[in-house]
Amino acid sequence: MSTEPVLVARNINKKYGGFVALGGVDLTLTPGERRAIIGPNGAGKSTFIAVLGGQQAGGPGGTVHFAGRDISGAMPQEIARLGIARTFQISRVFRRLSVLDNVRTALLPGAGRAFALSAAPLARVTEPAMQMLADLGLSKVAHDVADTLSLGDRKRLEFGMVLATKPKLLLLDEPTAGMGLNERRGLMELMVEHAGRDKITLLFVEHDIDIVFRFADRITVMSRGKVFAEGTPAEIGANKGVQDIYLGTEGAPHA
Amino acid sequence: MTKHHLQSPLLIGGVALALIAGAMLLGPGAALLLTEVAIMALFATSLGFLVNYGHMVSFGHAAYFGLGAYGFALTAAKLGLPLWLAVALGPLTALVGAIVFGALCVRLSHIYLAMLTLACSEIVFTVLFQAHDYTGGDNGITNFMKPRFGLTPQMYAAVCIGILALCVAFLARVVASPLGLAIQAVGEEPHRAAALGFSPRTVQLTAFVIAGTLAGIAGTLYSVFHGNAFPDYAGIGITVDALVMVVIGGVKSFYGGVIGAVIYVLLRTFVSRAFTHWELVIGLILIAVVLIFPTGVSGLLQKLGLSRGTKSEVQVRT
Repeated sequence: MSTEPVLVARNINKKYGGFVALGGVDLTLTPGERRAIIGPNGAGKSTFIAVLGGQQAGGPGGTVHFAGRDISGAMPQEIARLGIARTFQISRVFRRLSVLDNVRTALLPGAGRAFALSAAPLARVTEPAMQMLADLGLSKVAHDVADTLSLGDRKRLEFGMVLATKPKLLLLDEPTAGMGLNERRGLMELMVEHAGRDKITLLFVEHDIDIVFRFADRITVMSRGKVFAEGTPAEIGANKGVQDIYLGTEGAPHA
Repeated sequence: MTKHHLQSPLLIGGVALALIAGAMLLGPGAALLLTEVAIMALFATSLGFLVNYGHMVSFGHAAYFGLGAYGFALTAAKLGLPLWLAVALGPLTALVGAIVFGALCVRLSHIYLAMLTLACSEIVFTVLFQAHDYTGGDNGITNFMKPRFGLTPQMYAAVCIGILALCVAFLARVVASPLGLAIQAVGEEPHRAAALGFSPRTVQLTAFVIAGTLAGIAGTLYSVFHGNAFPDYAGIGITVDALVMVVIGGVKSFYGGVIGAVIYVLLRTFVSRAFTHWELVIGLILIAVVLIFPTGVSGLLQKLGLSRGTKSEVQVRT
């Protein structure tokens, strides 16, 4: 595996009025890495993901390089086309489209056919889409409208949509939030399996410490818009300062 | 029947041929009424497409109806171009207008987009109204051609139904295509769509231009129908008519515009004969629709279909 980093973020900063959401965050990801970001509410985790994904513009001086390319300030669609996919904290699917069409739609930009009037490109992406639904256990509801799915299945569907595009880097904002305990582990196993098979680097924000320690290679701890600590799960687990941050706020539900 | 079957070109063509054959048997008055229904159905369908699939509510869709009418009438009456060329220039004018105004409007969403569309249509209306030397102001453009090119009412009804069917079949194709999925995806969840690689504004502009051009075709047909053009064709009144048609017909249905136009035009024609305050009836119907069955008549039909046990792909969310 190449050691050339897949993502290098430097001095990422973001202010909302006078409030500093991100105060100069650095992060480097190596290919195939599974990195978790943890930290109390308001640490800036989701904002950081949003700046990487282009949903929010970072402040001046911050740079993001992806696969050696400067993507600082790029539009979300440009970032997506380069191979960075993301899921949202509250899962977003196309509720009025069928489950199958959700995945097929996700595959269209990659196939370069977002503006086609012919149905042929849809037929071509049907098989990979159905395969993905089978992996997710959603084959039975492929032709149902996505709106009829349970919250958990909607989340699975969104993961299927982004995994189907075979991104190089996948950003997950609280992937297991709002799911049952059994569902959480199954979902992350599915994610890690696909990530391993398609060589996807994972960056996920997560509150469930059990999930974090089970699935992350490395952990970045954020607090008040800064990186507080970074290391392997063992190192982070032994870090007294991290325990203090967490024990102080662990009781609070996630935002 | 599934939604797929209801939107097949064969069904659309078959219904159109039956209507055309029926139109030939009608008296002139009924044929004129059918023409009005067909043109308004096309206009309302174009607006319904924008609202239902693009999730863009326009308060200024009449701008493109008006541009279609004036694009035709001005080039025919003032430039003296041959009528066939002027007929092509009507929708083309609407298309250009939709590109220019659409590029501005899709920068915003929700109520702000609606306000921008309203502002754009007010601009069109005001120009048509004020540029008296060219457009004749509120006297409009009249007496430059025989209404309907001199076709019999029955023949012109057939022409309008044929064009309506072609446009509806085209929209059915769009809706089922990758472009249609892109339009729905961006309309519903622009952030999700962008994070998958869709350019939201480009996709929205494409939908806007399709809707505007079809509205322009309706405007040209209307101008030919009456052999005239007035600034009111681009006015807020026509937009509101179309919005009411779309809501009555079903704001989340492909055929909502057609169904709404049939109901609205027939009510306007027959209720106004019996009752001077026909708007009151429309108002009551509108209240009933919004409160009792917000998915409109097509949503109601779909529910009845479901209760009879037919398998239907529900695309309506109540």
